[in-house]
Amino acid sequence: MNSFWNGKRRYVALLLFLAGVFVALVVPPVIPFIQLAGENLPAGYNIPFTDIRITNTFVAAVIVWVLLLLFTAYIARRRPSDGSEVPPGGFYNMFEALYEGLMGFIGGIAGGAHFRLIFNMFMTIFLIVLLSNWMSLIPGVDTVGFIHPHVKEKFDPETQEYKVITTDGFEIYQGFLGISYVNGQCDWVSPADEAAADAAALAAAETEAAAAQQTQLEDAAYARYQAEHGEHGDDHADEASDDHGDSHAEGMADSSAATAAYDEVLAARVAEKQARADRGCYTGVALAPWQDGYNGDKDAKKEPIPLHPDPSSEEAKRVPWVVLPWVRVASTDLNMTLTIALISVVMTQYIGFKALGFGYLTKFFNFATLFKSPLGGIDVAVGLLELIGDFAKILSFSFRLLGAMFAGAILLFVMSFLVPILPWPFFILEFFVGAIQALVFALLTAIFMNLATISHHHDDDHDDEH
Amino acid sequence: MDPQATIVLGKAIGAGLAMIGAAGGGIGIGISVGGAVMAMGRNPDHTATIQTNMILGVAFAEAVAIYALVVSLIILFVLS
Amino acid sequence: MEALGINPGLMLIWLIAFIMLYVLMTRFIYDPLTNVLNERRNRIAKGLDDAAAAAAARQNAEAEAEKILAQARSEAQKVIDEARGRGEDVASGIEQEARQTAAKIQYDAQTEAVATRNAELGNLREQVLQISVAVASRILGENIDAAKQQSLVNNFIAELPADARGLGGSIEVVSAMPLTAAEQAQITSEVGASDASFSVDPSILGGLVVRWSGGLVDGSVRSQLSQMARNLN
Repeated sequence: MNSFWNGKRRYVALLLFLAGVFVALVVPPVIPFIQLAGENLPAGYNIPFTDIRITNTFVAAVIVWVLLLLFTAYIARRRPSDGSEVPPGGFYNMFEALYEGLMGFIGGIAGGAHFRLIFNMFMTIFLIVLLSNWMSLIPGVDTVGFIHPHVKEKFDPETQEYKVITTDGFEIYQGFLGISYVNGQCDWVSPADEAAADAAALAAAETEAAAAQQTQLEDAAYARYQAEHGEHGDDHADEASDDHGDSHAEGMADSSAATAAYDEVLAARVAEKQARADRGCYTGVALAPWQDGYNGDKDAKKEPIPLHPDPSSEEAKRVPWVVLPWVRVASTDLNMTLTIALISVVMTQYIGFKALGFGYLTKFFNFATLFKSPLGGIDVAVGLLELIGDFAKILSFSFRLLGAMFAGAILLFVMSFLVPILPWPFFILEFFVGAIQALVFALLTAIFMNLATISHHHDDDHDDEH
Repeated sequence: MDPQATIVLGKAIGAGLAMIGAAGGGIGIGISVGGAVMAMGRNPDHTATIQTNMILGVAFAEAVAIYALVVSLIILFVLS
Repeated sequence: MEALGINPGLMLIWLIAFIMLYVLMTRFIYDPLTNVLNERRNRIAKGLDDAAAAAAARQNAEAEAEKILAQARSEAQKVIDEARGRGEDVASGIEQEARQTAAKIQYDAQTEAVATRNAELGNLREQVLQISVAVASRILGENIDAAKQQSLVNNFIAELPADARGLGGSIEVVSAMPLTAAEQAQITSEVGASDASFSVDPSILGGLVVRWSGGLVDGSVRSQLSQMARNLN
């Protein structure tokens, strides 16, 4: 196996690169619809026995759990049963080297009586977060999914009925190999919006024309004024009389300037529509009311907006579509980061109580020195700040991971959109960001847990005694 | 002015302002890496330890920038 | 909360999953693996100590071995020297023994050869006796047979000079034919010799010649014949 692949992997990589370029050219990339909350899968995908809709981040979470269970089984099967056995090679050995390195690392930070608990928490958080983060590197995560009509039902209190309304989205295409994809070049424009834009263009044209006419009239009035003044003290009487004589002709010139301005605005709108049509879009390209052959958009308006159109049907074109990825990295969902942050903070308090008993509470409510020392009030304030700080830790933990990974995900697909043929450097960046964020999350947990086991007040008492 | 456009404008300005906070993270990262490099120059033997601590410090400094980023992302994608 | 996507139900599921993973991974990975790694680290530390001790012991052992080797070498030299000396002794002993054996073999062979010749001659005795009797009778005109021989012997004994009797000491008796044991005993007793050696010399033709340290009695047929020949001439 190994000898077969020696020297051939580079061709595999090259082949994948060429395939990436090909796919990027055939299927133009799409900037996905970005929302912070995990997207719900279509109706019907509920967590069994509950009415909680499954989100695509939850799918990723389930994959992570299953992978970790398999990993646990694998390690449990391969690991040597005692220290005298020679460890097996391969993936297990790599994990063991990592494990031993981290053991030494955590041992240097928190190598006390509570090492086992702290280290187990550290490893569990590290592995879960690491695996979640690295899922963003798998092709298809965040990009392949349901093509989803981006419509929702809204209750209209006036007519007392539900109405389907559309939001932002893209046009749908049956493309390469008959796969439905959304066209990132064409955002979907509803007929109403298009009509409104046309009306706005007409209004703008009217305004422009009126403004042009006004300018022309003012210019003419000024010219007349100049001419009248010139009659008194100037020798251009013949020119002035010409102006007077051609007043009708001037009025004609005025209206022609206005028409030119009017036409210019409308032509810009038509060119905009043509550009959309050239990109291959089918919405927002209908004939404008001022063009020949315009038959009104009444028929389009009359048809109701479908709630669940078939992607391959004609009526699919009447709604905007977005890609709803099947899997979205679990760490970009606040549910995961907040839960692990809560676990981390709760375990910190637990280990504090375990190590110090109820004396742990004096860390927060430190009234011991209030009346003994002139700075006792500061101690009280510091203790209360620590209490607030522990709550702030929850937010800090959860939003650090969420922010890093969510921004990373956005970076990845924005870069895939801008440079479809070579987004690799950003994948390498994400690889390191994922590993470092996992390490930071787990390491901070270990450090805080270790800090909680150390009694500061004991040292203070000592200082007082001396 | 179009109310929708006003909202977009406000969101864009707000998100941009929120990202000013990332400057602090950048300064912090610069200081910590600079210090780490100087330390590595003086003590090449302790490069591994210094590097580990530097990466951790960088990650913590980066966290501040990430909070700014989160605020900005929430402004852009959560507020409506 | 809605816009942030926080859903208490999902958070609860996450919490349960986390606790489940924590418990399983602690049970199946962290606890055993930490133990194994600690054990291995201790073993390696112990192994290094052992190795250091073993290295020291080896150094000691090498010095010891060197000492033992030197001792053994000197002892071996001594043994070799000793062995060489003893070997020379043994060689000389063996040589001497061989020489003795060789002498003995030579003596035995001689004795055997004599005995064999005597036996042969004993076999031939009758023949030779008859031949010599025939020759003698031709010469003397009388028959010499066994009885004659006996009588010759007796005659010899009778005619033995007086000074030849009771000689004692050792005598040498030469006869033409091997004497029987009785004759030998008779001669020995007549002469009174304590020790007699008997030899056969057919050239004397008959009779006996007795020699002793002091003189010689020649009763042989040859001397008689010679006497006769002298007388005849």
